[in-house]
Amino acid sequence: MAGYSRPTDLAAALSLLAERRPVILAGGTDHFPARVAAGPAEDILDITALGGLRAIERRGDHLWVPCLATWADLGAANLPAGLEALTQAAAQIGGVQIQNTATLCGNLCNASPAADGIPPLLALDAEVELASLAGRRRMSLDAFLLGPRQTARRPEEMLLGLHIPLPVAPSRSVFAKLGARRYLVISIVMLALVAEFGADGMISRARVAVGACGPRARRLPALEAALAGARPDPALLRRAHLAPLLPIDDMRGTAAYRLDAVATLLRRALAGMVPA
Amino acid sequence: MSLSLSLTVNGIARTLDLADPRVTLLDLLRDRLHLTGTKKGCDRGQCGACTILLDGRRINSCLALAISHDGADILTIEGVAQGDQLHPVQAAFIAHDGLQCGYCTPGQIMSAIGLLREAQTGDDPERVREAMSGNLCRCGAYAGITAAVLDAQRSMADAGRAHAA
Ligand SMILES: Cc1cc2nc3c(=O)[nH]c(=O)nc-3n(C[C@H](O)[C@H](O)[C@H](O)COP(=O)(O)OP(=O)(O)OC[C@H]3O[C@@H](n4cnc5c(N)ncnc54)[C@H](O)[C@@H]3O)c2cc1C
Ligand code: FES
Ligand code: FES
Repeated sequence: MAGYSRPTDLAAALSLLAERRPVILAGGTDHFPARVAAGPAEDILDITALGGLRAIERRGDHLWVPCLATWADLGAANLPAGLEALTQAAAQIGGVQIQNTATLCGNLCNASPAADGIPPLLALDAEVELASLAGRRRMSLDAFLLGPRQTARRPEEMLLGLHIPLPVAPSRSVFAKLGARRYLVISIVMLALVAEFGADGMISRARVAVGACGPRARRLPALEAALAGARPDPALLRRAHLAPLLPIDDMRGTAAYRLDAVATLLRRALAGMVPA
Repeated sequence: MSLSLSLTVNGIARTLDLADPRVTLLDLLRDRLHLTGTKKGCDRGQCGACTILLDGRRINSCLALAISHDGADILTIEGVAQGDQLHPVQAAFIAHDGLQCGYCTPGQIMSAIGLLREAQTGDDPERVREAMSGNLCRCGAYAGITAAVLDAQRSMADAGRAHAA
């Protein structure tokens, strides 16, 4: 029979990962639905008892979100202005029962094209920190995400947590999601917009990321460039800004519908943005 | 390999041996402890029928291994009434017809008790609907459910004030 272990110590967890390559279990909200018909026996490394990896905290110039921090923890954290998109996403991931157990890091490691956590974290230039017996390494979330359900994590590595840069200039951010109903729904499209403002009320720097429109979420550099130096104005949006998006037709919507929905959500996000 | 597990379930300490580590908290409650009030609707996190309170917070018991929660304190629908006296949320579900077939109801009630402990919604029906969105009702008793949650919140606040006075 397959093994199960729930170490309290990180070094023990990393040794197990190196030796046996078990499946990592955090909140289990992606893990269990993928295994409803009892699948092949597999070794499980349950990381939920690891000490010191739950509390979200400010560390110097960034926010540290360790691997056991849940969406409910994030929603309850008092985040500084500019990180509102994260609080908004936290409230829209599943229902409260899911938010109480599901982790941000599980959302990233699962790397679904429809993962709601990814656009806000991409737009905020988050970095991931991976740990193995060989040591630790950091990389941008952009480099970590390779494709649908594919990441740069090696099998002997664990995602230890995320570093989210704290805003340096007065900032606002927004998360927007379209689903077939209001709550508890897989996104048809979702996006995050982060804007830093100068003293003149103009956007000094904008970052935009869109998900569920291709194999993985994408930033929109041309739109970011068009917004820099301008007021948040929906009229600035051009069809060409959406060129990095490669949506598909599926049961949740057609590619054309998705592009239309992204444009509408972006215009609304810009129209609703009050300079910081 | 046999694993030993200690839980407090509805105030009673239990020690159990598990032959297979892959048994979920939901199956343990229903099949080992015969607490069948907690329902299995979908077994994949989508319906909320299996909602319980784990250390005071609502979770879907189908998405948790029992063995992951050694030492936990669990409250299920069987543990919420005080003898013959219904919990205010149970009474409010009856008063407001917050059910039809009743299959989703234990999960709805446990979720509502969790919601009232979180105390995040205030008396805004839209916030209550949002906070109850993890519980589906195939019979569509949502209007009665929302009314029941709001009413239970009022009656528990009144009882709290009367107690303090
Ligand atoms: C009813 C329901 C509704 C949902 N709604 C949404 C939604 O609205 N939006 C959304 O984006 N998602 C949603 N999800 C998906 C899921 O809840 C999230 O992706 C969640 O954040 C996953 O976190 P977890 O801790 O439960 O991950 P787990 O299921 O424990 O793990 C997910 C994957 O990541 C790996 N993993 C986890 N932690 C680590 C780590 N530290 N290091 C390395 N690998 C790791 C696991 O091996 C597994 O492959 C929903 C799920 C359900 C069941
Ligand atoms: S049975 Fe657990 S959520 Fe449906
Ligand atoms: S009362 Fe029948 S499913 Fe809710």
